[in-house]
Amino acid sequence: MLDLVIKNGKVVDGSGLPAFVGDVGIKDGVIVKVGRVTEPAGTTVDASGQVVAPGFIDPHTHFDAQLLWDGAAKPAIEHGVTTIVPGNCSLSLAPLKAEHRMKLVGMFNQIEEMPHKAFAEGVEWNWETFEEFVARIGKDLDINVAPLIGHSVLRLWVMGDDSMKRTATEAETQAMCDLLDQCLSAGAIGLSSSFVDMDERLQPVPSRYADTVELDALCVVLSQHNKILQVVHEFFDNDLTLARIDQLADISLKHGINTTLSPLFVSHDNAESAQQIMARIVEQTDRGARVWPQVQTRPIDISFNFSVPSLLFIRLRKWYALMRFNTPEQIIAQLQHAETRAALVAEAQVMMSLWERLVLRQVQSEANQALVGKTLKEIAEIRHSDALNVMIDISLEESLEAHFLSADMGHNDDQLVGELLQHPNVMIGASDGGAHILSFATYGDTGYLLGHFVRDTAYLGLEAAVKKITSDPANLWGLGNRGLLREGFVADVTVFDEVTIDRGIEHFVQDVPGDGFRYVRDAHGVNTVVIGGAVAYDNATGYHDAHRGQIIG
Amino acid sequence: MQTAQTTLSARRRSIHPQAGDTWQTIAKREMPSEPAEAAVAQLQSWNLHVFARRVIDDATGEMGNPILPSDILFLEPPLSGGQ
Repeated sequence: MLDLVIKNGKVVDGSGLPAFVGDVGIKDGVIVKVGRVTEPAGTTVDASGQVVAPGFIDPHTHFDAQLLWDGAAKPAIEHGVTTIVPGNCSLSLAPLKAEHRMKLVGMFNQIEEMPHKAFAEGVEWNWETFEEFVARIGKDLDINVAPLIGHSVLRLWVMGDDSMKRTATEAETQAMCDLLDQCLSAGAIGLSSSFVDMDERLQPVPSRYADTVELDALCVVLSQHNKILQVVHEFFDNDLTLARIDQLADISLKHGINTTLSPLFVSHDNAESAQQIMARIVEQTDRGARVWPQVQTRPIDISFNFSVPSLLFIRLRKWYALMRFNTPEQIIAQLQHAETRAALVAEAQVMMSLWERLVLRQVQSEANQALVGKTLKEIAEIRHSDALNVMIDISLEESLEAHFLSADMGHNDDQLVGELLQHPNVMIGASDGGAHILSFATYGDTGYLLGHFVRDTAYLGLEAAVKKITSDPANLWGLGNRGLLREGFVADVTVFDEVTIDRGIEHFVQDVPGDGFRYVRDAHGVNTVVIGGAVAYDNATGYHDAHRGQIIG
Repeated sequence: MQTAQTTLSARRRSIHPQAGDTWQTIAKREMPSEPAEAAVAQLQSWNLHVFARRVIDDATGEMGNPILPSDILFLEPPLSGGQ
């Protein structure tokens, strides 16, 4: 007697081989047969007309905090994602000494735009070591979690405040290596680092104070465990990106490890750079190195309101400081101060073409509802003003709760992005799931891949696309027997309709601790998601709270 | 597949800073035949990602542009035509 059988589906098994019609039999959390299953089962899922694929793997997320109040990492599962990799970009929530908690929260707030209030009201700080953290999130886990260890966090643990001042001594480097070794032995799947990020005081994060000796020593430990290194590189600069690729290639060859860098974007203004980057990746791959750029599927859209510091303003120091270091009441007061407002307007003039393209997406007052959906240029014409002053005026009228959308900021040319996604040396990743919750929805990238780039524009075949979000990341990130529909593999399965799968419209929900909001996207066309052999979600009844998620390491 | 000894296509020469490096020490070590002041100016112009960076020095409260140990520093201008 099987526990579960998925019948008569179009089986796309994650290998990239052609699909076939068949059944998937599951018992004790493991796939026991793929083909024609005649044995009876406790539960039967009719997948006629549906695709049956391995559960999707999202290798670049920041769900670290959300997992403390939501073991399903909603809405990841309903998009077909069964495994997430948190702890990217040098930031993880463990190991973490009590005295460093607020410093790390500040980094999450600045880099991943996670609100302070969510940490304050959603997190019970009852761990320090990685083992304690894993035990904490492991309770009632619905989704599989394959955590990375943040380099900045290792430095904080060993060096304290000095981690943001200087290189490590030999003894400190050894202590970091010992700590990483301990974490990898306890289930971490690798190390993440950053060459670009800054904390909320706009100071470089600890990993940026590591010299090559320290990074090399940590990679020795990764090599001993055969684990991956992830880095955030200077993605905005072509020459620096090429140099980082060479650095990672040398690390990969020396230590025999996988490395990945993220993100890589492509638009008309950097198409030639992206070609050079991929040529360098191929060249280094031919040399025997393993360096994998991560590319996201979705275009870049950013939403914001004036009460939360937005990365859109990071180059405008007066504006960014206003949003970063003031309460909403103080921001309103400063915008009402004629002299301050004039200085802000003067600074932001240089980006007028951007302000004009912004769309007013959400307001609270009835008076301004008629303006929702219009560009600020259109509203400026109505109000006989300019886009920048309109943006300020409406923000004041709405007590800063006016939301603006900057759509299609890049990475939005189907041909350029499609060709990059289909490249054999590209990993699909960089979703940033769980982060930037007040700027854009980081969910539904897999639906967008299968809907837009497979069905609608045909840049990838169905089997190739499924492979890129299942067995490829499982292999690269070292996730063991996952990512394929094969006997003996863990039964993580996603059943979806290839005709309707997509990401839904981005919308604002209030489900963050501390009465907080975030942007999310619902899923379209995902029918059933099985995690660890049990149905975790189906589109008729929703989440099943099966709690079969595991820490993978 | 080629090997680790395979010669790569042209690359823009770069280094990682050594402990205690300043613009002056890097210029002296990497560009010994150039006049010191000119070498520093050239280095800074090729590395605006570092030179134009503004970071508050916790000790002094002053804005500075420290060379960070993880930085990549270029020793020549961008290659013509990219790679």
